[in-house]
Amino acid sequence: MACLHDHSCEDHDCSSDWSLYKHIDIPKVSALNEAVPGSVKAVFKAWEQRLSSSEGLLESNEGDPELIVYIPFTSDVKIKSISIVGGADGTSPNKMRAFINREGIDFSDAQSMQAVQEWDLAENLQGVLEYQTRYSRFQGVGNLTLHFPDSYGGDTSRIQYIGLKGEATQLKRDVVATIVYELMPNPSDHKTKSESGGGMSHVE
Amino acid sequence: MVLEVRSSISIIYCFLDIYPFLFQKLGFNFVISNQATMICIDNSEWMRNGDYSPTRFQAQADAVNLICGAKTQSNPENTVGVLTMAGKGVRVLVTPTSDLGKILACMHGLEIGGEMNLAAGIQVAQLALKHRQNKKQQQRIIVFAGGPVKYDKKVLEMIGKKLKKNSVALDVVNFGEEDEEKTEKLEALVAAVNNNDSSHIVHVPAGSNALSDVLLSTPIFTGDGEGGSGFAAAAAAAAAGGVSGFDFGVDPNLDPELALALRVSMEEERARQEAAAKKAADDSSKQDKEGESTSQDATMSENAATSASESENKKDDLMDDENALLQQALAMSMDDPAATVTTRDTDMSEAAADDQDLALALQLSVQEGAKDQSGETDMGKLLSDQSFMSSVLASLPGVDPNDPSVKDLLASMQNQPEVSPKKDEDKPKEEDK
Repeated sequence: MACLHDHSCEDHDCSSDWSLYKHIDIPKVSALNEAVPGSVKAVFKAWEQRLSSSEGLLESNEGDPELIVYIPFTSDVKIKSISIVGGADGTSPNKMRAFINREGIDFSDAQSMQAVQEWDLAENLQGVLEYQTRYSRFQGVGNLTLHFPDSYGGDTSRIQYIGLKGEATQLKRDVVATIVYELMPNPSDHKTKSESGGGMSHVE
Repeated sequence: MVLEVRSSISIIYCFLDIYPFLFQKLGFNFVISNQATMICIDNSEWMRNGDYSPTRFQAQADAVNLICGAKTQSNPENTVGVLTMAGKGVRVLVTPTSDLGKILACMHGLEIGGEMNLAAGIQVAQLALKHRQNKKQQQRIIVFAGGPVKYDKKVLEMIGKKLKKNSVALDVVNFGEEDEEKTEKLEALVAAVNNNDSSHIVHVPAGSNALSDVLLSTPIFTGDGEGGSGFAAAAAAAAAGGVSGFDFGVDPNLDPELALALRVSMEEERARQEAAAKKAADDSSKQDKEGESTSQDATMSENAATSASESENKKDDLMDDENALLQQALAMSMDDPAATVTTRDTDMSEAAADDQDLALALQLSVQEGAKDQSGETDMGKLLSDQSFMSSVLASLPGVDPNDPSVKDLLASMQNQPEVSPKKDEDKPKEEDK
């Protein structure tokens, strides 16, 4: 599902809509199968800079157009739509699959798992196309993983800009870090009040 | 007891203030990387050979122990796992864990036999790493290739590409059987995996050097160049300073939390310094532009070059002074804290002459330390009480409290409580008279 802007961008400030990039935890953004490690961070920028490739772009390795981009957020967000600006000469990705709130997805996981939503992408070199999400499924997103399985016939995939439109809540979805499970109950771990002095002060 | 603890804490605070500064100026670069490693051991028939003493297998086991120790020491959160590639089949002995004892224990009682299955070994290692507990760790596989490699070069390159795609780094130790084809295949494998110099291959020929010794100097031990070389240099500097060759003059075994705290503060300081340096560079470039707006491009670049060389010279001077300071600081941490107060004062004045920033940091840390010290003794407390001081001074023969020099002294005493320990020694002598 793609929709074109039906107004000219001079009238209203498009950049304020695409401001979800401010809530991305940029240092923790990572990508798999990128040719230059760390180049994925240059892809998240303001709407006005979506076409400038001064800071580099994300390119996959030679001969393999598959890409996975992992985007963690600093607070939970609701994503309304996504915009992708690809590369020229068939290096734009032609399909996008999204997974939410799953860390450490690699290629075998991505290929076997059911995506939250999939889109067929068009070659969007001017960055005017946006792909709407099924909003109800993209509430409370702590991290987003985008999988681009293939490109338009090119040897590699190139992505210049990934834009996210939506709202940020101030909440943070926290993962329970360590839980210690009891394999066998140990009474000494569970002292009742009566054993540990009764809980009342007593005179010695 | 309490006094010693307090003084040691004040030393620690001084450490944390001084050290990041000095290390940054001396140009060390530390990156604490969190890694999950799988070590693939070759226990094929070819490992019975004695061309590495005592046997190839034993030399390999020693090397594995050394690697495990190094990994867990460089970052306590690193995990290491072990699997065997030969025998009846690829078998995972221990999944990635940070428990060194478990790893060393599983190396006992391994049977030698069969043929090494390189491809399967790497694939199982990749699978084991995929299921690591902490998904944020970088993945690394270390392969000990002793026996011959029966797989095609093409197959190995495919495996290498798959590893690279999933951002898994690979280190290969080529020892044992010497075979041109084998070397070629392993080189091709590492070249396919290599992404930005994160994967390495080491060839260890048979000889009098132990396998572990040869590996110590390779990138396999020294990490990806950044953290490792930094550590080596730090160890050398510390050893020169007369301290046992630990990174921060603190034994990580005795006090791991302190060692970790020092490293973290060092990292933070480094990041802060980088940001400040970047900002300073931007500011200075702006100033250059404003000043030379009317002159030619040639002269502008000349000015930039001279200012750069000036700052370099200043940096060299700083580095010499700070080397000396570094030795002092390391020595201080070992010595009795009371004895170091006087040495610290002299160091402060030398350093302060050179660098304003350094002087500020040192002064802050000294004040903190001095405050603790004065709090320790009752004498110290009394001395900081100004009214008591003036009354004592009045009672001394030949001292007029209204004398301007005495008044100055009192005023300065308020600002510099570190003078009080010296006063400690003076006061009792005078009162004894």
